[in-house]
Amino acid sequence: MTGDGELGGKEYVLEGFAVPDQLDAVHSLLAQAAGDNPELDPMDVMLFETAVIEIANNVVEHGRPVGEVRWRFTVRVHEDEIEALLDDTGQQFQPRRGEDMPGEDAEGGRGLPIAEALLDQIDFRRMDDTNHWHMVRRLGQSPQI
Amino acid sequence: MSFEEVDKDTYVVLAPEGKFNMVAAPTLKTRIDDLVAAGKARLVVDLHKVDFIDSSGLGALVAGTKVARKQGGDLRVAAAGDQVRAVLKLTNLDRILAPYATVEEALHDW
Repeated sequence: MTGDGELGGKEYVLEGFAVPDQLDAVHSLLAQAAGDNPELDPMDVMLFETAVIEIANNVVEHGRPVGEVRWRFTVRVHEDEIEALLDDTGQQFQPRRGEDMPGEDAEGGRGLPIAEALLDQIDFRRMDDTNHWHMVRRLGQSPQI
Repeated sequence: MSFEEVDKDTYVVLAPEGKFNMVAAPTLKTRIDDLVAAGKARLVVDLHKVDFIDSSGLGALVAGTKVARKQGGDLRVAAAGDQVRAVLKLTNLDRILAPYATVEEALHDW
């Protein structure tokens, strides 16, 4: 589903279950947004996708009950930023924000630090029995790699 | 995720395809564990067909590196694309998983 979102940005929406097979659908949604907006710098899209997928992974991996959590992704492309909203029906939790990137020997724990490093804004809140993630990357600006 | 495997006796090249993510990572990690347990501890992961890696894929590479080194071998990554290189650098994993340009370069002293 696409359309004109708030503030005039183009909007892309995906709804379904937060299960591993649906991660490809998230990639496809972002590819659709990039394809429709050729002015987007491929580097911005790539890094935004990397961040968003880490948050999606988090929902798939930790959301309960397993296989029953529903999510709704909304991606909006604006003139100066790309934005994603992820709402899911998983259990209440508190993400561990602001953690350092794990050391080289660590086999896990990099997901949220990666997302935080690649986004200019990342907010989480619990409201109406739903988890809400809001992710923004400004276009053509830092943080770059 | 499917991956090709070429056993050259002194080393093994594993070539995953597509998205090296939380779906695919356990399969490759299990295969690496099996190879190392069978005495094949020199491994090259050829990433030229991987268009996306996530933290689970990174975790599998770190775990594979640790198990290979414990057995006196190593795991090296080759032919990584832009996204993989960016994520390796962002996470500082390029220090232990320095990406080689080609599989041949990764084999330089094997």
